[in-house]
This record gives sequence, structure tokens and C-alpha cells, in this order.
Amino acid sequence: MNIDAFKPKFFATSTKGENAELLVDLNSEYRDRRKDAVKRVIANMTVGKDVSSLFPQVVKNMQTEDLEMKKLVYLYLMNYAKSNPDLVILAVNTFVKDTDHVNPLIRALAIRTMGCIRVDKILDHLCEPLRKCLQDDNPYVRKTAALCVAKLWDLDQERALENGFVTILQDLISDSTPMVVANAVTALAEMQESSANKDVFVVNVAIMNKMLAALNECTEWGQIAILTSLADYKPLDSKEAENICERVIPRLQHANGSVVLSAIRILMIFLRYIKSEEFTKSLIKKMSPPLVSLLASAPEVQYVSLRNINLILQKRPDILQNDVRVFFCKYNDPPYVKREKLEIMIKLCNDKNIDQILSELKEYASEVDVDFVRKSVRAIGRCAIIIDEASERCVNVLLDLINTKVNYVVQEAIIVIKDIFRKYPKRYEAIIPTLCQNLDSLDEPEARGSLIWIIGEYAERIENADELIENFLETFLEENSQVQLQLLTATVKLFLKKPSQSQEIVHRVLQTATQEIDNPDTRDRAYVYWRLLSTDPQAAKAVVLSEKPPISVESSSNKISPALMDELITNISTLASVYHKPPTAFMGNRAYGADAVRKAAVADARDEEQIMGEDSPVAPGGAGVSVEAPKSSMTDLLDLDFGSSEPAYSSPPMSGGGQMSSNGAPNYNADLFDMSSDMSSSGGVFGGMAGMNGMGFTQSQPQQGVMSPTNNQFGDLGGLGGMNFGQSAGGQQQQQQTQAPKQQSAAVNDLLDLF
Amino acid sequence: MIESLFVLSSTGKVIIEKHWHELIPRRIVDYFNEQVSKAMAAGEDVTREDVLPIISSPKYQLVNIYRDGLTYLSPVTKEVDPMMVFEFLHRIHDIIQEYFGSVSETIIKENFVTVYQLLEEMMDDGFPLTTEPNALKEIVPAPTMLNKVINTMGATTSVSTRKMPHGMSNLPWRKAGVKYNSNEIFFDIIEEIDAIVDSTGKAVSCEAHGTIQTNSRLSGMPDLTLTFVNPRLVDDCSFHPSVRFNKWDSDKVLSFVPPDGQFRLMSYRVNLSSQQNLPVQVKPSINVGANGAKFDITVSLRNTDGKALENVVLTLPLHKSTTTLTAQCNVGQYMFDPVGKVLRWDIGKIVPRERAPVISGSFGFGAAGSDAAANAGYNIGVEFLINSHSLSGLKVDVLKLFNESYKPYKGVRTMTKAGRYQVRA
Repeated sequence: MNIDAFKPKFFATSTKGENAELLVDLNSEYRDRRKDAVKRVIANMTVGKDVSSLFPQVVKNMQTEDLEMKKLVYLYLMNYAKSNPDLVILAVNTFVKDTDHVNPLIRALAIRTMGCIRVDKILDHLCEPLRKCLQDDNPYVRKTAALCVAKLWDLDQERALENGFVTILQDLISDSTPMVVANAVTALAEMQESSANKDVFVVNVAIMNKMLAALNECTEWGQIAILTSLADYKPLDSKEAENICERVIPRLQHANGSVVLSAIRILMIFLRYIKSEEFTKSLIKKMSPPLVSLLASAPEVQYVSLRNINLILQKRPDILQNDVRVFFCKYNDPPYVKREKLEIMIKLCNDKNIDQILSELKEYASEVDVDFVRKSVRAIGRCAIIIDEASERCVNVLLDLINTKVNYVVQEAIIVIKDIFRKYPKRYEAIIPTLCQNLDSLDEPEARGSLIWIIGEYAERIENADELIENFLETFLEENSQVQLQLLTATVKLFLKKPSQSQEIVHRVLQTATQEIDNPDTRDRAYVYWRLLSTDPQAAKAVVLSEKPPISVESSSNKISPALMDELITNISTLASVYHKPPTAFMGNRAYGADAVRKAAVADARDEEQIMGEDSPVAPGGAGVSVEAPKSSMTDLLDLDFGSSEPAYSSPPMSGGGQMSSNGAPNYNADLFDMSSDMSSSGGVFGGMAGMNGMGFTQSQPQQGVMSPTNNQFGDLGGLGGMNFGQSAGGQQQQQQTQAPKQQSAAVNDLLDLF
Repeated sequence: MIESLFVLSSTGKVIIEKHWHELIPRRIVDYFNEQVSKAMAAGEDVTREDVLPIISSPKYQLVNIYRDGLTYLSPVTKEVDPMMVFEFLHRIHDIIQEYFGSVSETIIKENFVTVYQLLEEMMDDGFPLTTEPNALKEIVPAPTMLNKVINTMGATTSVSTRKMPHGMSNLPWRKAGVKYNSNEIFFDIIEEIDAIVDSTGKAVSCEAHGTIQTNSRLSGMPDLTLTFVNPRLVDDCSFHPSVRFNKWDSDKVLSFVPPDGQFRLMSYRVNLSSQQNLPVQVKPSINVGANGAKFDITVSLRNTDGKALENVVLTLPLHKSTTTLTAQCNVGQYMFDPVGKVLRWDIGKIVPRERAPVISGSFGFGAAGSDAAANAGYNIGVEFLINSHSLSGLKVDVLKLFNESYKPYKGVRTMTKAGRYQVRA
């Protein structure tokens, strides 16, 4: 070895003195002195000092029987291999010699370290020793060599295949020692992921049986690897799936949470194939206790467990039925744990445990974490909507909370009470006076909007409704646009219910809204109402005061589509199950990622559309829009149409004016639907739809046919009301046809100019 | 695959980094630190413990845990089992603790080389390798007094060249050829009670988590069978790898060849009913007004089989607008931490039939005292310990030894402690 070649150029002046000292010690005749020197070299290395100049002296110490010394030198080598690959080649002979050492520990260590030196040049020297080690008598060496194949594969797949290492590795699955099997599985699974043909590791019956045989005897990490690979196996029939589950069940009793969750994953996947109801039942029963035990672990383990339990519950609601108490929050749980526990409490709530849950939620409402308090209050509302019989108790709890006068609690409570009113119309009118007492403390748009909606909806029962509305109207122009929309609708409702008291108010509001407000949503809605009221008050009544579609139990934002659900269940105990997103959605460095996300999103949208179909009068023309912007329109509707503040016209792509001439009505319907999702009440939706439908009717007769199935009686009424409107609009549209493609907002502005 | 580990100081500086696979640039640590400070800036009550353990970045998923002021950060690039990463990070923390007695920035810096060696042994190319403490200690000598002496005397080299590690014997957890002059084995049954108790003294949720911590000093290859008087009490349990699961499943006995030295034989969970007589009753009464509150808390013994409650400490976190506190107590001493806003009452020992400890006093809110302060709920954390007592009632029946001819000395101790025990006021 030529020592001089390395000497001067790597010397850093600041460490010169120390390095010179180390140099002496590394050459010392005393072993302990040399060892101490190597340790100091490594200490310097870890803090970033340049000790590469000592390379030859350090490597000289590699030839020793002292394992610790050898390891230290290996550590040094591995560190410099990345920056100075040329240097490492000089040590390669010692490595190769070590792979032939009598001591299996040294053989294993040598092959392991060689594999970790990720330098192409070393590969030439790696293959022969690796082949020997893979067939070593000692299982410890074999298991180390197994992983080394994956390391080689990572750098050079060709070479691994050419040398037959892949085949040898596949044979190692039949090894007699479980830990060798586990490492072979680990290596193969890793290689499979990056292989082009995905044929490196295909789990068939034989492999599955060998993995199961090794499962009990290998280390916890080996068990995780085997369980993970087992998930890829497709059982032939129900019986086989049952057998596999039987073999996996004991893993639920492992102290390592990852083993437990991996086992749960296998059970959840194989449950799909199991036909026996009895077996399914007993399996689900066995899964609960270990899941509960995971919650006694560190907060981060709890977090992962809770996210997974959330998924499992959506798929198998019968699990953990009697364990709701373990999800109760401790005051010093981290906020991310509390939030997940809350979600699960709601998922587990039923008429038996609701009282317990309610008293918990009430307790949480007095905590310090404002966000958590709000979520807890909201949870009370969600419980009320899920369990009909308990709704009164929920309302009472909410009233108690309102009486605390804590500002954010009151606001949140009013928001959820509005949802309860929607779910159970006319049931809890008696509490309205209490709500109105808190009028002055509401400063958040959503809370204000909620109370205004309630006032409008129950205007006939509230004696001073006109005063209350008047009170809000003082600041009409300063309000947030969603509050303005609510006010507009509430005022119209008030007028329709108590025309004598409020004629002046409604007139003033419509005038202000049409003349002084620039926001097209608010202004246009005012126009629509005005027109409706002036042409046919009866129709207006039918439209604005129509029956509301029932509110859905769970808001769509929490709902996972069945397709995504299945994918997530397959991915239990992975990051995907924590994020509740398909793996492709956050592992952004994959080329196909974006595409898959899109696919999932579309599946998602379709699913939401289905839910929506039950809840809202979506016209065929409107469906296009809901796919384009499923999230906004969907949530808006279910959350009682408090619109997103963005203008309605920005989301869907616009078709040109030319297209409109032939296809005008559906387009208008589509856009109007989108707009109506921003409207305050579903009465508004009907109003908008009906009015526009009338317009379509004048344009093209067949269109009416398409529309009418979804337009119920109100639609027809609305259509009547809209007739005039449509007829006069017709002229304007003719005009539009001749114009070049134009912004939709402009078109609507033109339309509005008619008034 | 767990590719890399960064151990960060409380200020976010890298103390040690280890890359088992490819190098992950340090930049990611800056991104991580930014995210952490962003999360902590979200509210004045947000502490480092409140930051999410999995943070998403455009290229990496930042899996991290926070322990003793240190952050263990593992950025991963591929889909991974996060639970496995957490288990592994916990293992690293535990091992460092076991090697050096405690974990801190200074300790890691003082023992750089050993820590580095440990990290190397615990992982091979991103896959956990040797994580059993007993096995690791054979490969990487712990800095014990004896080792230091051997090193300085220049005596012959470490034992590790001659012995096979655990991983190479038929039982990965036990080495061959163990010999003791006096054979003994000790079992410590420790139960921790996790409970939420409401202000009337009723348990809202309550469970006991038990562990059987074992210290085995037995020669040869002893095959043990441990039976309980009442094993069916246990609702869920997990075992050391040495325990034969089938035997437990069929006969509810623990059959195993123990590792040498300290290990955890079994963990179990017992659901306690809400009618369960808890060993201690804490009766708080806190009357909150607009400017402050009057409080008194009485602690009394219940159902401890005549045993004393030891190391009793009550902590009462107060609303953050609290500025003053005055109190008096008949037993022990109290302390008010005006920065952390916590009242800590150190009671010490409570012996049955002595007078019940009481603390009473008042605290006041500062100018910021608002409706929220007046309405805030209070929770009291309770710590205690009872020797020779098992809340669940789990009892060891007999221990039988097979495969060896000697008669070992056997010892069983039980202890009940408060785990996360909270009383709502």
C-alpha cells in the first residue's frame, strides 16, 4: 500500500496537530493504544473533522482478531466509501479475506459491510464472497448474506440476476432456520418493489406455507416482514383464508405494536375471502383487545393505532362495540390523539352508550384547547343527528353549554343546533328564544348565518323576528357574503310568512342588495327573489318555503369511498392508513402518482355523487358540475349550503357562447346549480333551478322533459313563475348566440341587466 | 425501510446522524425544524409534545418522536409501516438509556463512538438487525466500570470475539453455557392504573396495565412453567418471544426458557369495572368565580388491604391566566409553579386510619381572566404507589422447573402504581 499517495492533500491545517498525534498512535505497537486511536478517529469523523488522511493507517488495523476493533475500522471505511470510493478499493482484499474467516461473526460482518459500501467498483469483488456466504453452513452468515443480495440489487439488478443470486435467495425461503427465511423475505420484498417485471417475489401457496412456518420463530422484525409479504397472497378459497388467519392470530399477542397491527392488517384483508359468518364474528372479537391495548402505548403509537381503528371501524362497525370508554380523552393527551379519539367516539356512539359519551363531550367543552372544544361541541351535534332518540339529550347539553356564555362555545353550539333543526324540523322550536338571547355575542360568520337561518326558518313562531332581522340588517353591507346570503333568504322567508310586518324590510333589503353589493352571488340572488316575488308570490312561497331535503348523517368530508376504503384496508399499518390517502397521493416522486390520485379522486367524486343524489335535487345538467367540483358543492349542500366564499363562476370550466345556443339550457342549469350551492337554503336551490328551468323551457322544448323528473312539484311551480322571466331572457340569449365565446359571468350579468 | 436517523437537540441542531442506506441531505432537518416551530406557534399552549409525529414534506415523510428533550427524526422516502419506525426509534432511545443510564445531548456526545456502534448494529441497510439489549451488550460493550478498568489496564480483548451472539443459538434470546453458583429467579408484577375519575368519585374509565418484569439468574437451559391462581382475569396480554403461545392459549400457563438477566416476561391489561374500588379517593371542590377560585381537596384511602399509599403526589394544572395562589395543607408540602401554572402537592405516605390529607386555599386570575378561565374544567393528576398489592388480584400460583436438576430460589413481588390517573374536578 502506498502511504505517501494520500498524505499531504487531505490535511486540514486545524487538525494537523491532532492528526499527527493520531498517526503515531495508530502505528503504536500496543493494541489498546491503536484501538483508542481508532476510536478517536471515529469520534472526529462523526463531528465532521477530516480524518481521511489517516486512511492507510486505519486500514492497516483492519487485520485483527479483535472484533470490536474490526468493527470500528469498518465503520470508518463505510463513512469514507461515499466520499472517497477509490480509497476503499484498497481495503477490498482484507474484506474478501474476512469473508473466509473461521469465525462466522467476522464472515457475516465482512459481507454485511461490503454490501453497505455503495460503490460500483466494489461490486466486482463482492459477487464471489457473496455466493459463498449465501451457502454458508452458519445460518447467521446466510441471513446476513440474504440482505446483501438486496443491497447488490439496489445498485445493479443485472449483476444480481446474472449471478443467479435471485434464484439462490428464492431458495433460501425454504431454509431450515426461520431467521434466514425472514431475511430472505425481507430482501425479496424490497427487490420486488423495484423490479421491472414484478416477478422476483410472487407469493404462491408454497411460499405462503413456508412463511407461515417461519412466522412464530423469527424475530419481531422478521415477523413484520413476513406478515407484510403475506398480504400479497390471494387465497384460493374461504377455507384457506381461515387457516391463514388461524396461524396469524397468535401474533396479536406480540409486545411489538407493529407486529400486532401487521397481523390485524392480514386479518382484515383475508376477512374478505371468508364466507363463514361464525368465523368472521370470532375473528372480529379477537381483534378488539389487542387494538385496545395499543392505546396504552406512547402517544405516537396511539396516533397510528387510532387512525387505523378509524378505518377498521368504517369497514367493520361491529368491532370495539363495548370499548368506547378506552377512547375517552385524558386531559394531557396530545391534541392529535384527542382529535382522533373524538372521531372514534362518534363512530362508536349508539343508544346504549350515548349518555356516557355526552357527559364526556360536555366535559371536553370546558378544556383549554379551543379547537378541541369546538370539535367536541360539534361532536354533540353529530351524535344528535346519528341517534334520533338521544337528540333531545344532546340539545339539552348544548343549551347548558350556551349558558356558560363562553363565546366560542356558544357560537359552535348555535352552528350545530342549526344542523339539528334541519334534521328534526319543528321539534325543538322551544329553544329558539334562548338562542336569540345570544345574538349579540355572535361574531363569526358561520354562527351568525346559522342563527339567521333559524330565525328565517321559524319566523312565524318568533314574535319579534322582524326586529331581530332588522337588527342584523343594520350591518348588512359590512357582513361576510355568506351572512348576506342568509340574511337575504331569511328576510324573504320572513316576508312570505308575515307579509304585513315586513314589506318594508324586504323591499329595502332587495334594493340594497341589488344596488350596493358587487358580489354577484348576493346580488343575483336578490334579483331572483325580487323577480319571483313580483311575478308570483304564491310560487315564491312554494319555492322558498319548500321542504328541505334531510341532512346527511356524516358530512362528506369524512366519508371515504368504498374503492378507496378497500385500498386503505389493504394498506393498514402503513403511512397511507395514517393519512387516509392512497400511497400514490403522498409519495410524490412516482411518475404515475398524479394519475392514480386523479383516478381515486374521480372514484371519490362518483361516490359522493351517489350520496348527493339522495339529498339534493341534482339535475342531469348539474351532475357535470358536481364531478368537476365535488368537494365544494357537496360539502356546501350538506353543511346547509353555506357557500364557499369564492365566486361560483370560478370553479367549473366555461363553455363558449356558441355552444350555448344549441345547448344553452343544460349549461345554465349547470352553472346555476353551482351557484345555488352557494345559496342559503335549499329553497334557494329550488328557486334557482326552477327559475332557470323556465328559461330553458322557452329555449328548447325537449329540455323541459329532461329536467322535469328531478324537478318535483315545486320545480313545476317554479317553472311557471319563471316563464316570464325565461321569455324575456330568450331575447337576450339570442343576442348572445351571435357573440364570440364569452365569460359566463358576463353572460349572467347581461341576463341580470334585464331586470 | 428506515433509511436514516437524525438525533436533534432541543434547539433542533443535529447531534448525530446515521444513514443506513443512502445519504439523506441535512436540509430536511431545516424543513423539519420549520414545521415544528410553525406548529408550536399555532397556540400558546402548544408544546413540543403536541407536534404531530408524522409530518409530510414534498419528498420525505418525517417520522419523529420526542423524548427527554431530544428528537429522533427518521425521514422516509418509501411507503413504510410507521408503527415499525416508532417501535424502532423507541428501541434506540431505550438502548441508549440502558447503556448510559439516561439520555441527553451531553451523554450522546460523550459516548459518540459507542452510540455510533450501536446504531450500526441495530440496523442493516434500513432493516432492523439486533435490537435485543442482551444481545447488543455482547457485541458493543457497555461503558461499565469493569470494561473501563480492562481497557485502561490493557488486559486481553473483549469477550465478543470468542462468543457467539444470541442470534446464533437455537433460542435467539438465550446464550448457551450460562452458569451461576446460586440459581435464582425474581418476578416483579407491576400494575399501573389508568383511570379517569369524575368529581363524585366514580370511575369513568379504568383499566390496569400489568407487566411481569423478570430477572433470571439460572444456569443451563432451564425450562420453566409459571401458573397463576386466576389467569382468566386478564383481558389481553402480550409475551416475551420465549413464551410458548400455544400453552397459554390452551392451558393459561406461561411456559418458557427464559433469557438470561432482566427481561419483560409478559404485559397484560385488565379492564376494571366502573364500580371497582379504587385504592384512593380524591375529593376536589373548586368554586370558580370571575376573578379566581377557592378550592379544597381531600385525599382518603380506600380498599388497599390495609396497606399504605406511598409517594403520593397530586398535581393540579391551573388556567393560564392564574397569577396568584395561596394554600395550606395538613400533610406534606405544596408548591405553585407560576410559569407552568401548576400546583403540586407532595403528600408522601398515607397510612390507613390516619387523618386524611387536605389542602385548601385559593387562586386568582390576572387581568386576562375571562369567561374561559371561569368556565375551564380542572383535572387533578394523581401519583401513588402501593407495595405488595395487586389491584387486579392476579396471583402467581407455582413455578416449576424442568430440564435442570437444581432447585432455584424464587421470588415474587407485586406493586400497584398510578399510571395515568386523573380526577376531574
